Amino acid sequence: MMSARIGLGSATRRVAFAPVIGRNQTVLRTLIPKRGVQIQSLPPSASEEILNAQRLKRPSSPHFTIYQPQLTWLGSIANRVTGGALSALLYGFSLAYLVAPDTFDSAHIVEFVAGLPDYVKYTGKVILAAPFTFHFWNGLRHLSWDMGKFLSLKGAYRAGYAALGATAISTVALVLM
Amino acid sequence: MQVLAKTARASAPRFCMRSFASSAERCQATPIEKPVLNKEFKIYRWNPDEPANKPTLQSFTIDLNQTGPMILDALIKIKNEIDPTLTFRRSCREGICGSCAMNIDGQNTLACLCRIDRNPSKNSKIYPLPHMYIVKDLVPDLTLFYKQYKSIKPYLQNDNLPEQGEFLQSQEDRKKLDGMYECILCACCTTSCPSYWWNQDEYLGPATLMQAYRWIADSRDSYGAQRKEQLQNEMSMYRCHTIFNCARTCPKGLNPAEAIAKIKLELAAD
Amino acid sequence: MASSVILRSTLPRTFTSATGRNSLRFALQVRAASSTTQYVPGGPILKGTVNDPTEFPPPSRTHGSYHWAFERLLAASLVPMTAAAFVTSGSSYPVFDGLLGLSLVMHSHIGFDSMVVDYVHKRKFPVLGPILTWTLRSATVGVLVGVYQFNTNDIGLTELIAKVWTA
Repeated sequence: MMSARIGLGSATRRVAFAPVIGRNQTVLRTLIPKRGVQIQSLPPSASEEILNAQRLKRPSSPHFTIYQPQLTWLGSIANRVTGGALSALLYGFSLAYLVAPDTFDSAHIVEFVAGLPDYVKYTGKVILAAPFTFHFWNGLRHLSWDMGKFLSLKGAYRAGYAALGATAISTVALVLM
Repeated sequence: MQVLAKTARASAPRFCMRSFASSAERCQATPIEKPVLNKEFKIYRWNPDEPANKPTLQSFTIDLNQTGPMILDALIKIKNEIDPTLTFRRSCREGICGSCAMNIDGQNTLACLCRIDRNPSKNSKIYPLPHMYIVKDLVPDLTLFYKQYKSIKPYLQNDNLPEQGEFLQSQEDRKKLDGMYECILCACCTTSCPSYWWNQDEYLGPATLMQAYRWIADSRDSYGAQRKEQLQNEMSMYRCHTIFNCARTCPKGLNPAEAIAKIKLELAAD
Repeated sequence: MASSVILRSTLPRTFTSATGRNSLRFALQVRAASSTTQYVPGGPILKGTVNDPTEFPPPSRTHGSYHWAFERLLAASLVPMTAAAFVTSGSSYPVFDGLLGLSLVMHSHIGFDSMVVDYVHKRKFPVLGPILTWTLRSATVGVLVGVYQFNTNDIGLTELIAKVWTA
């Protein structure tokens, strides 16, 4: 089959009618055309090296840049970001108090905040209340998943929207307090 | 009906011979002219024969009225008529083999089950499964996915064979497997999970974990304790933070998030 | 097929003069000697062949179900404590305030630790990972001391938030 494609029909016919003694040698010499198909001798174990050489050049497909924004992962990353931000605030304040207790004691802080203009106070309240309430309600949603509730896709979405609604209401309530 | 037949015969030229209906073209009905409805598809391309060229988005425009309804039909039409080098996996074209899993308009799904949005003003973006090493164009390297699936030993393990016949199972016990055995291992869920994106060499991913639970929950399997013990470490299962992308994207409507939550409860109860 | 096998096994030397292919073979041998095909976690090269299953680390419930259960119980306990903090005043129940502070700090620590394990794990970041882990641990110790000092020498966390909110 192969010999027919490369036009070695005459060569194979010559081989077929060649004398039996020393036949191998004749096969080898007459079946190889002068121009040559380049053949490489490799052991089977070399296949892994070739594959790995190809693998190293492969790109990694895009992920969060192309994935559709959905309540599922947006809610999850928001939970992490809000938790991280609030914890950073807690850590920052506690370490600051540890290092400089006189600058950061409660009297100074209350005084500083009281001196701020009203709109700054309201903005500050929103900035603090919204992450806290979202983390709280979404945390409850997460705990209910861990107990086995709301684990269907519909349930997760309904609980998600409920958490968002509760966040909005409680943020407003807290800011007005 | 008769009136129509008469007019057809009246309008046909007289040299319409008596022969097979399909032989003389002038005797045939004229097909309805469908308007041209062009839609643009932007498809991720990368050629391993020119690895230095970065992956690009190539734009193709096809007439939707001359294409089948699904994204896979569009891909095949592009491959047949415009660019034969476009490479993608496909097989059954009916959503059961899992070969054509890819990211279409931001969601991981099967191309053969995803209908084309017939709005011509919006383009459709087709990417391979996210955060996977790409062999060519839309073909990801799923070797690690299969190795992880093999590691959970997805076969029945029971040392006590019944004396006669097969392992018996009640209908209630069989019901526990519903929603898990139907998995076609298309890898849509696993590649939609951000935890898998960041830690795919250690975290098993939703598909593998759901199959692990499929065997843990099988009443005929007696190796449940060993299967659960394997997952008692920081990375293999506990990287799941119930992000829920898996259940949202499963093209077969399965729920890996629920299965993983059940494994966590069983491990905590141990 | 048989003829091609004969060709491959008995004639490598005949083609050493061929141009393109031999350089590839030489390059492969050189690369095999170097470590570019070494396993990198998260990289394209995989451990073992395509037929080997991935391996599991040794099981440890401390890092597995115990950690998970503790984390959930802690979060669950924070819910009634936070609700109570809104209702009562912190200075009237200092022990409760201290418990709330302690739980909050532990909850924050577990959250930060989870982020480090997810994004900066030491198997992929052998230097930055451990640095961040130990920075976090020492920061948590510092925060615990700071919270204790604040609750003892000053008005306490709940009172502070209440006062700042209504300032």
